[in-house]
Amino acid sequence: MDCSSARELLPLYFDGELDRASGREFERHLDTCEECRAALIELDSLRTRLRNDTPRHAAPAALRERIARTAANALATPHANPRMRWLALAASWALAFVAGGALLPAWKIGNEPPIARDLFASHWRALAAASPVDVVSTDRHTVKPWFEGKVAQAPLVRDFAEQGFALVGGRIDYVGSARVPVLIYRHGQHLVDVFVLPPADAAALSHPLQREGYALEPLRLGDQAAVIVSDMDATESARFAQLIGAAK
Amino acid sequence: MSSATATAWVGELAQRHLDAAYNLGRWLLGNEQDAADAVHDAFVRAMRAADTYAGGNARAWWLAIVRNCCLAKLTTRGKDQRNVAIDHVASLHGRDAADALLEQDETDHIESRLESAQRSVLMTQALRELPLEFREALILREIEELSYREIADALQLPIGTVMSRLSRGRALLQKAIKPAAPDEVKHGL
Repeated sequence: MDCSSARELLPLYFDGELDRASGREFERHLDTCEECRAALIELDSLRTRLRNDTPRHAAPAALRERIARTAANALATPHANPRMRWLALAASWALAFVAGGALLPAWKIGNEPPIARDLFASHWRALAAASPVDVVSTDRHTVKPWFEGKVAQAPLVRDFAEQGFALVGGRIDYVGSARVPVLIYRHGQHLVDVFVLPPADAAALSHPLQREGYALEPLRLGDQAAVIVSDMDATESARFAQLIGAAK
Repeated sequence: MSSATATAWVGELAQRHLDAAYNLGRWLLGNEQDAADAVHDAFVRAMRAADTYAGGNARAWWLAIVRNCCLAKLTTRGKDQRNVAIDHVASLHGRDAADALLEQDETDHIESRLESAQRSVLMTQALRELPLEFREALILREIEELSYREIADALQLPIGTVMSRLSRGRALLQKAIKPAAPDEVKHGL
């Protein structure tokens, strides 16, 4: 690698955007080139100074509360915004709202273990994404091997289509900083996520939780701890937990 | 996704990346009130737009909305010259700010603290005076540690443009703090 092409790669290397092979090649050049080393050190000292000498402004508590309040109000009256009235969508939104349960609890932060927030957030993110399923298959012999090599222990995969809970696939998601396998089932119109949890996280979740019409139900999946997250009601959730818990 | 789900999801997302949003707002708008208002506007906008979120990096999606609201605020502020950025006024009195910082702390290492306070004032001012397109790219990369892809999404730019802005911004900032540095030390004490 000559110096001019190394110079082009230098910021990419510094920002961690070079692939491994090019990174190694760049490092070999770095060993021989004092100028490039100096340029790299200069970038690094600028970064250090930026991080140390300029304040990172943390959001004031008042702003945090204001946003939580706005969110709570929006949840209580989703069509309160006057602009919404002009949207053709408004009518269907109002309907969905009534159907979804008119009395949603106000949105609060910090009244449940952080892991529960993570789980709800992962579930919502999956619902929001274009496709909530990484491996689409109703065949457990496809889903289980897909997990092998992606997580430490592939979970027990069973299909409960006959009982009304059809396996639709799986994905890998994050809970805290841990990569966990998620099994996805469909029950009527409900999409049901079953997160398999590391033992340390499972301890924080001992009983079912509800939030904005979504329920979280801890259970055992074979010899692993798991948790169901869905918008099914508590009875359905418990029934599914029992089904899974009984599976061998 | 129902509207209630969307709202809850956006709420979660905004709270998780509220510091990043507010910090970006502060560096784009220069004062607390405008930054807080812009972030709040962004949240309202994000709740309405949640149904249009098409996957991809959620943090970048949220910061893109925050940035658009900041730019909108900058435009309206430009028309109304009576509003002066409070931080900007403070930065003009950098020495006073450094002094105020010193008074809070009465232990010995005055020299090193004065030096670091001056360094901080110098750096803050240099960054603030950087043209906006370079400033925002640098903040997102160096302070918020976003990847090129995320920055490109947040700024709605091609990755190549992000790279050239970063590199130009770094060069400009380097230049801005260099000549002043020996001068500052000389007049430091």
